[in-house]
Amino acid sequence: MALKTVGFLTGVAFGFIVGWARLTDYDVIRDMLLLRHLDVFLLMMSAMVTAAIGTRLLRALQLRSVLDHAPITWTTQPVQRKHVTGSVLYGIGWSLAGTCPGPVAAQLGRGQLSALFTIAGLLAGIIVHDHVRIRRPVVVPDGAGRALTAVAGL
Amino acid sequence: MGSFLATRAPWYIAGPLVGLLVVLLLWLANKPFGALGGYIEFTEWAARSRRELGWRPLFIAGVIVGGFLSVPTSSGWRPTLAYGSFDVVFGSALWRKVIVLLAAGLLIGIGGRMAGGCTSGHGVCGMSFGSPASVACTVTFMATAIACTFAIAWMSGL
Repeated sequence: MALKTVGFLTGVAFGFIVGWARLTDYDVIRDMLLLRHLDVFLLMMSAMVTAAIGTRLLRALQLRSVLDHAPITWTTQPVQRKHVTGSVLYGIGWSLAGTCPGPVAAQLGRGQLSALFTIAGLLAGIIVHDHVRIRRPVVVPDGAGRALTAVAGL
Repeated sequence: MGSFLATRAPWYIAGPLVGLLVVLLLWLANKPFGALGGYIEFTEWAARSRRELGWRPLFIAGVIVGGFLSVPTSSGWRPTLAYGSFDVVFGSALWRKVIVLLAAGLLIGIGGRMAGGCTSGHGVCGMSFGSPASVACTVTFMATAIACTFAIAWMSGL
């Protein structure tokens, strides 16, 4: 089985679960973020705990990955300022849209056409980010550069 | 089974299933789970800086199909622009929806790209790996989204 097939089928399963659990509904996400219903938090926490146990089990059993026969590995990252700044912007967007990159695709499949606008914005945002990032290494005095990035919030 | 699938999945079914998908993807392909990467690779492919579409954009295509397959668990497939109480909070006029959702998408795209992950990538997968960056991201976007939603609810009186 090829990597692309695995990716596609994992996506199908994820999209089905997300739709089945109604994470595609604006009101489910809004009620979660207004702390009216805590079930989506419980959903995420149980997913995280299941994944934490399962992935460590794979490593403890010293299994190799099915496709490339390599030892199962993953990387972790130290916290940087971009993680916090980016997540603040992300959180505002998530709140406004009532959806995020996974569920928005499932919304589209379920016929919620408002997803088209969110996805268009999402793709535009990635492009905007990458262009700002490419231009950043332009040589500017250190203090001014820092002030500029602070003003841009980037 | 039929009637079980005909209602909304409870968190204790859906959550562990998502967790198992993270495990499955790691075991089969040695890849970390997450939705945002599919959009990033798609923009790179569209900008010709990537020669072919990899598995991540196909994952997103799969999510669209999976969403479609989940329709029988609720009502029939009726394409609509209606978006729940969003239409009450922000108004149901199309131009309002376009502006708010485009702006929201823009923030999700810029912010997610900066942070290197989204609700599934950092919030579920990275958290399960115990990655410090994912913990910081998840705490930050959760707190921001909760505060922002409360602020909008307060301003709109809903």
